[in-house]
Amino acid sequence: MLLELRDVSKRFGGLQAVTGLSMTVAPRTIHGLIGPNGAGKSTVFNLLTGVLPLSSGEIVFKGARVSGLRPSEICRRGIARTFQATTLFRESTVLDNVLIASHLHAAMAFVPTLIGTAAYRDRERSVCTGAQGLLASLGLADVADQRAGSLPHRDQKALCLAMVLATAAELVILDEPLAGLTAQESADTMAVLRALRAEGKTILLVEHDMRAVMGLCDVITVLDHGVRIAEGTPRDIQANPAVIEAYLGAEESRA
Amino acid sequence: MSRRPGLSPALGFGLLAVAGVAVPVLTRDSYYLDVATAMLMNLVLTLSLRFEMSTGQLNMAHISFMGIGAYASALLVTRAGWSFWASLVAAPLVAALVAVPVGRIALRVSGPYYFLITFAFLEVLRLFFNNSFVDYLGGPSGLVEIPRPHPLPLSGGAIAFTGKLPQYWLMYALFLVAAAVLIRLEYSRFGLVASAIRQRDLLAETLGVDVIRYKLGVFVLGSFFAGVAGVFFAHSHQVLHSSDFGLEPMVLLVVFTVIGGAQSVWGPVVGTLVLSVTSELLRELHHYEILVYGAVLMVVMLVFPEGLVSLPGRITRALDRRRGSKARAVGARVAP
Amino acid sequence: MSIELLIQAALNGFGLAVVYILVALGLTLIFSILDIINFAHGEFYMLGGFVTYYAFAVFGVNYFMTLVLAVLVVGAAGVLAERVVFRHLRGKTLNAFIVSLGLLWVLQASAQLSFGVLDKSVPSAVSGIVRVFGLIMSRERLVVIVTASALMAALYVFLKFARTGQAMRAVAQDPDAAALQGVNIEAVLALGFGVGCALAGAAGALLAPVFAVSPTMGALPVVKAFIIIIVGGMGSLPGAVLGGLLLGAVEGIGTLFMTSAAVNMLGFLIVIAILLVRPRGLFGVA
Repeated sequence: MLLELRDVSKRFGGLQAVTGLSMTVAPRTIHGLIGPNGAGKSTVFNLLTGVLPLSSGEIVFKGARVSGLRPSEICRRGIARTFQATTLFRESTVLDNVLIASHLHAAMAFVPTLIGTAAYRDRERSVCTGAQGLLASLGLADVADQRAGSLPHRDQKALCLAMVLATAAELVILDEPLAGLTAQESADTMAVLRALRAEGKTILLVEHDMRAVMGLCDVITVLDHGVRIAEGTPRDIQANPAVIEAYLGAEESRA
Repeated sequence: MSRRPGLSPALGFGLLAVAGVAVPVLTRDSYYLDVATAMLMNLVLTLSLRFEMSTGQLNMAHISFMGIGAYASALLVTRAGWSFWASLVAAPLVAALVAVPVGRIALRVSGPYYFLITFAFLEVLRLFFNNSFVDYLGGPSGLVEIPRPHPLPLSGGAIAFTGKLPQYWLMYALFLVAAAVLIRLEYSRFGLVASAIRQRDLLAETLGVDVIRYKLGVFVLGSFFAGVAGVFFAHSHQVLHSSDFGLEPMVLLVVFTVIGGAQSVWGPVVGTLVLSVTSELLRELHHYEILVYGAVLMVVMLVFPEGLVSLPGRITRALDRRRGSKARAVGARVAP
Repeated sequence: MSIELLIQAALNGFGLAVVYILVALGLTLIFSILDIINFAHGEFYMLGGFVTYYAFAVFGVNYFMTLVLAVLVVGAAGVLAERVVFRHLRGKTLNAFIVSLGLLWVLQASAQLSFGVLDKSVPSAVSGIVRVFGLIMSRERLVVIVTASALMAALYVFLKFARTGQAMRAVAQDPDAAALQGVNIEAVLALGFGVGCALAGAAGALLAPVFAVSPTMGALPVVKAFIIIIVGGMGSLPGAVLGGLLLGAVEGIGTLFMTSAAVNMLGFLIVIAILLVRPRGLFGVA
């Protein structure tokens, strides 16, 4: 198992956001996390990446405990994420965004950076080439020098994905990667995700587009009110009465 | 790295270096040399303050580290008998060392608390300089009789630093080092990461940047250069008083930095040059000076917060828009 | 060191502390509603002092009328500052902070140019002493304490029961929710700033007869206010009161053992210590 959550809970003051969540993510899979609004999915992502501390339980990645570490350390270990709103460095160029995301592979000690030694320059050059390649593979080569904040939505989403890939993380956590995309754009993105799985990456994603989730994921975990209510293949989940209940219940409360 | 619009760093640095050499060629008048020397010292202070602001930190105690460098050097030379040249290296290191715990404490809090806690340090240190160890620091009457830099022995003889010209060259040399380091860092990966931290530090953290370590490093290095300025200040001014390192001179530094533009490394250069001149012109009218600076600061932050350096860009963009809309209007009349 | 002496010292400290608490309440109210750290807050205190000087000392207006006048004038100035300046800086904390530095200089320099640099003294409104449980206090101080306490009580009632006050609390807690409930956000923000400044103005008016009035009189109280709100928790009104009482007690007793300069430094060191251990202060919200 690549990632294990063991009895993870998170409480905000009086509100219990996640309760006793245990789940595992196998390597080289696309694993979906679904549930009605407010189920705690984004909280789980924040816990996984160290943005929020756990109230109890632990998270184990590649056999080592990662709960309680700083986000930058967790990224160094191989977990990276996108955020729900397209979170970018809006004032920087597209290329610079990816260069920043490549930091783990580019950073050198202070003195070589200051002096600009040959080693530093070589490292920067190769990171830059890698970044340009990444942008090209996601259709962003033309906009490399544009301000990230000025891009259309689809390109911003692609840039977020490029940044996550630039970290070379093994576990890629995507928060609604298909939100706001047209049918064609979604299909393209799904193809990219499948290709990433083939290359050996593991993907954990939250999505509301159910057709996409069922078509894309190998395993799906369902959350409701911070509790895991089901886990299994898409076929299992679609037939699971508890899941249907949770979504119907959400439908009713909205009606 | 993406090519940045505007001045190339080498060209900018070159221009500054040449301008600095030109001053003593153009004039030997001690008044103008004084002004130019003060400008260079202020440049070191504003460039280093701006360096800290590039990660989003406004360190209200920046001038206190100048004070630490100043007092440390004065004491090393007058009490411990050190040579000025040794203390020129050691005193800024003292400032940097003090910056480590201060920075660690300040960085535990964010945003508004950060301004307030660094302001608290500013006041604590000012009170310390004013009231503690009066035998050593001079107390409310100040620390006096600090010697000029000791003569620098060279093969042909020794350079004395009693005159304005050698002091100018000394400050010029210090400025060149500081500017070279800070400009170079800005245009390297360091500057890229600093900009990322300033825009969204959480995002940078989740992408693998150890934000706290970065901010602390920036804080310490910025304080080191403030200490360098302090050493020069102590031995050229020859008198130190706690009011030199209080809120008013600190706000003046903020004014110089911000009016020029804190986003760009050239902003403080523009701001310091323009305002040093204005300062001289308004020298007799202290209260008017404060009033005008306060008003200008407000106007700049409200109307063009990126400072004076952003004006050329804004004007060209505004002209482009004007041209663009004219073209569209013409097109609309011509096309069906 | 007799208990009496200690209590007397604490009481003297308390007399000043209530006024600083007023200033701190204004500062923290503004922070809670508008998210602004107004470094120029002390200048509104100074404005209150000058209104008092001109109305009471120069034109002979009744002292309590002068207090009312100071509150109204400085409150209006606060509303003006919000409308003209701070309105445009919503969400930009750093820029708002820098602008408040500029505003501080503008107000202080204007005062120095208009009023001159020298202190102006304001005569006492009341004279004589009272004995409270065998301890001595000047009547003037008593008036200050009573009036300041009354103003604090009035603020409490206003925020708890008046519709505008409740609206202010709603905006402080959750501006979006308040807007959805139909609160006029713009009015609340402007008024909130005004009330905060009015409190500072009242404080300046109360202390004008005790200390002299000068363009720089706001520097010390605003620094005390910052210490108080950091200790008590920024944005917390009960925190400001408790923090002020603590500071008053510490400083009052501190002056028995050390110089006033050392006492000042003590205040700041306490701030730093608190920020180390509990950055949000006693009652602060994370």
